[in-house]
This record gives sequence, C-alpha cells and structure tokens, in this order.
Amino acid sequence: MARRGERRPPVQVERISMLVEKGELAPPAALASFRQTGTPLAVSSTAGTDSPLEKALANLDRLVGLKEVKQLVHEIKAFIEIQQRRAQEGLATEPLTLHMIFKGNPGTGKTTVARILGCIFKELGVLSKGHLVEVERADLVGEYIGHTAQKTREQIRKALGGILFVDEAYSLARGGEKDFGKESIDCLVKAMEDHRDDLVLILAGYREEMDYFLQTNPGLRSRFPIRIDFPDYTLDELLEIAQIFLAERDYYLSVSAREELMRQLQVAHNLRHSGNARLVRNIIERAIRRQAVRLSGQKNLSRDQLMIIERVDLEGGAAA
Amino acid sequence: MKECLIVGKTHAGKTMFALNFAHYLGVTNLEITFRHPSGLVGSKTYSISAARRELVGAAPHTTRALQSITLDLPVGKGSKRCLFTDTSGLVDHIHADVEIRRAIAQTLGAIREADLILHLIDAAAVGLQDAPSALGEVDYQVAQFAQMRTGYAMLANKMDLPGASVGLARLRQEFPGHTILPISALYKRGFREVKAFVQRYL
Ligand SMILES: Nc1nc2c(ncn2[C@@H]2O[C@H](COP(=O)(O)OP(=O)(O)OP(=O)(O)O)[C@@H](O)[C@H]2O)c(=O)[nH]1
Ligand SMILES: [Mg+2]
Repeated sequence: MARRGERRPPVQVERISMLVEKGELAPPAALASFRQTGTPLAVSSTAGTDSPLEKALANLDRLVGLKEVKQLVHEIKAFIEIQQRRAQEGLATEPLTLHMIFKGNPGTGKTTVARILGCIFKELGVLSKGHLVEVERADLVGEYIGHTAQKTREQIRKALGGILFVDEAYSLARGGEKDFGKESIDCLVKAMEDHRDDLVLILAGYREEMDYFLQTNPGLRSRFPIRIDFPDYTLDELLEIAQIFLAERDYYLSVSAREELMRQLQVAHNLRHSGNARLVRNIIERAIRRQAVRLSGQKNLSRDQLMIIERVDLEGGAAA
Repeated sequence: MKECLIVGKTHAGKTMFALNFAHYLGVTNLEITFRHPSGLVGSKTYSISAARRELVGAAPHTTRALQSITLDLPVGKGSKRCLFTDTSGLVDHIHADVEIRRAIAQTLGAIREADLILHLIDAAAVGLQDAPSALGEVDYQVAQFAQMRTGYAMLANKMDLPGASVGLARLRQEFPGHTILPISALYKRGFREVKAFVQRYL
C-alpha cells in the first residue's frame, strides 16, 4: 500500500481546540485529529527544523508494524555513515552494495519502504536523486530479439540516480532458456556494474517465489546482499492502519464500526487474505463512499456527523 | 518536572482518585493549583476530607479546571517530584454548555502535552449506555492517541461496585495490549500497582 508512507501536513492544534470550544467538533473527533498531527507536541514542535533525512526516518518509524524492517534500515543507514567517516579518515572501507531483495505478500509495505529508502540514500549522498521507478515484467521484457534490451535499458535510464524496483522479479525467470526474461536479467546485472555508484536495484516478490528464483540463479544471490522480509500484518496492525488512513482524511470510526471492521478483518484473516493493507484500504474507501451516500440529502449536518463512519457504512465489506 | 495527567469521561472518579492517591502517598495537606480555562491561576490548601467534600462531585462536570498537586515519589535511593493533574471530564458528543466545552478543550490540550497519562474508566458503567461515565468513543480515541507515547495506563475504577468485574473483563477484551490496572479510588484499592507504574516512568 503505497500511501502508508504519505502524510498530509499537520492540522493546527489550536484550531482543533477552538472548534471544540465553539461546539463544532466533538471530543473524540478532536483526538482523532490530534493523531493526524503525528507525535505529541514535544516532538512535533521541532518538526520544522528536521532535516530531510530525519523526516525520512521519522516517516519510516511511523509506519505500522515492520519492526525488523525498520531496524534493518537503521542498520544500513549507520553502516553507510560509518563507511563514509572511515573513508574520510583514510581507513579501509567495504564497497557499498545496496541492491536488495524484498520478500513478502502484496500490501505489506514493500514499495513504501523502498520509497523511503530512496530518500535516505539521497540524503546520505549515495544516490543523486533518490527517486523510485517501479516496474514489472511487462515493462522490461519485449516481444522480439533486441526489444527486451531496449526496454530494460530504457527503464534503467529512468531510474539512474534512484532505485529501480522490480516487482514480481521471479517472473523474469519464467518461461525457461528461450524466454526474453533472461535477457532482461542480464541487462539488469550489467547495469548494476556500469552504474554501481548511482543506481540501486530492488527485486521484490512473494517469499517462496523469490527464494526459488535466487536458488536457481545463484549468480544473482551474491549481488543482492541485503534481503528484507515483509511479514503479513496482524489484525491489530491492520486496524491501526485503517485508523491512520481515516484520520489522515478527517474521518474516524464509531465504536460499533470499529467492531464491524475487526469482524471483517477477522473473517478475511480466516480466509487467509490476511496481512494485506490493500484490503483494509478497499474496505475503508468503500465505507467513505457509503457514508457520503447515507448523509447526502440530509440538511444541517454537524462536523461530527461528517467525520464519523458508522457500522452501516461498513456492512457489506469491500465488495463493490 | 514531569506531568502526570488524569483523564477520562466525566464522573469516572478522576478527582476522587487524584485526592485519595495523594493521601495514599502521605500528603495530608493538599495544596492544589487551579489552572482555569480562562487563564486564571490560583491555589488553595485543603485537608483530605475538605477536598473530597468540595471537589468530588455528586453530579457530572464538577471539575472545570486543571487541578494539580505536586507529589514526591520514591525512585531508586531518592525521590522524584511529579505534577499530578486532575482534569475536566470528557464527553462523546458536543456539549451544549459552552463552559463545559471550554473546560474539555483545555483537557484535550493538556492531553497532547502530558508526559504520562492515567486514563480513568468507570468499570461499573462500561456497559451502561446512558451513564455519563459509560465507556464511549472518546475513551477509544484517548487510548489510540496515548498509545503513541510511553507512559499510558488505563485505570479501571469503582471496582468495589457490582458489575465492575464484568466491565473490567470487557475492557481487557476491548483494549488488548494496553496496561489496565483495576482500582477503587474510593477505597484506595490497587494503588500500589498505580504507584509502581508511575514510578517506572519518572
Ligand atoms: N463506589 C465508588 N464510587 C466512586 C469511586 N470513585 C469515585 N466514585 C464516585 O463517582 C462520582 C464521581 O467522582 P468524581 O471523582 O467527582 O468524578 P470525576 O471523574 O472527577 O468527574 P468530573 O470532574 O465531574 O468530570 C462521585 O460520586 C464519587 O463518589 C470508586 O472507586 N467507587
Ligand atoms: Mg472531577
């Protein structure tokens, strides 16, 4: 879910208090809006002076769950910084190989983390631009001889200075020897050599498929020293994601709506569609539309009514 | 000095807790500083019985200011000073009385700045829809908000009343992963655990 890393600018705290006093905002909605401003005052008061690097790290830390991922990113950052310091002192340094494998189900935060890594690498001076180019097989593999190299090189060119993120990377190895996917892989490997100072490659996909892909392409394994596992979200984490998603949009769940959402997430969990933030997002987006339908035509809507998602808005689940 | 804020719905027993907890820690003359929403500040010293008589309410919305007591808690070999602040009670909906809304806005502002939050919930009223201290939206939102910080505990109050243990079970179910300490503010039960919790965060 790409949007997890995105945040709107903080709403003004004073304004929220004023609205409560004026009777335009109910206390629960006020607290929900406070959450939108992120961390408590003590931290947010220095937010204006944060460097882009600190902001990127704060964005990372603010993501729900992903404890190990966060820790690993902090380690990578520390490693880069120390290597740079050692270089300044003329000490021996390890070459920085930052190409990575991301393993995990869809909707577990891979793209979001990749985007944040781009920012961090830029701020650390490892990449010149730090942007993210997301591609999949269709963007890389062509239909005739020479076409694939051309398409792949085109994507590499776009990604120079940033991160090339190949989703479902194992599909490049599909179809065996004759498949053009192989040609694309070769092209990518060459680009990793040619642009070692200004390109980071991330290969992403389902855990089992990626493991098999690396096993069958041993040459690739050593080129991707960093492997990150993205576990499925727990039910509590999914609920938190839903609540952040809503708070960012000035909505919040009523008590019974929250129960209903938990129930639906539990059902999805039992059906093994679990751990997927995209599912949560679909449910919530639909509830927001249904709330609008429920309220439309009503006069004299209070601010609170406009913000609250009720149980009925969630009933029926994510299906269209 | 760190500030420990006592929040919760109106009539949950915040003032009773603040006073009796201070008394439990050995304070006999309670010097209370009042910070009114208007900005006025004053202070007054009470005996414990006078404080209970004047400040604990038979009706909701008794407290209308931030009422602070300075407490010394033993930490390690020494002790740490901490400001214990009782607040005006919260409601789920927009209250009709502007004075009460102003007091609530003040509480909300204080919630954002507190170092430590003790969230009182009337365990005996958890399932009572109509009671002013029934578990409500605002409790969920306080829990959500406070989760982002280190020092946060729920105090399930009025455990001496019938129905409170059912209420406590429900709270445990509703708020998994939160620290929930059962207490009776009236009879000073469960205060040892509260003290230990506060000490940990000073
Ligand atoms: N049985 C019992 N009653 C309690 C307990 N704690 C408080 N009460 C009663 O609950 C009522 C409200 O107590 P307060 O301390 O005034 O509540 P508050 O949360 O400060 O309420 P406001 O300031 O009005 O928002 C009073 O009648 C208290 O006597 C308790 O532990 N047990
Ligand atoms: Mg009170």
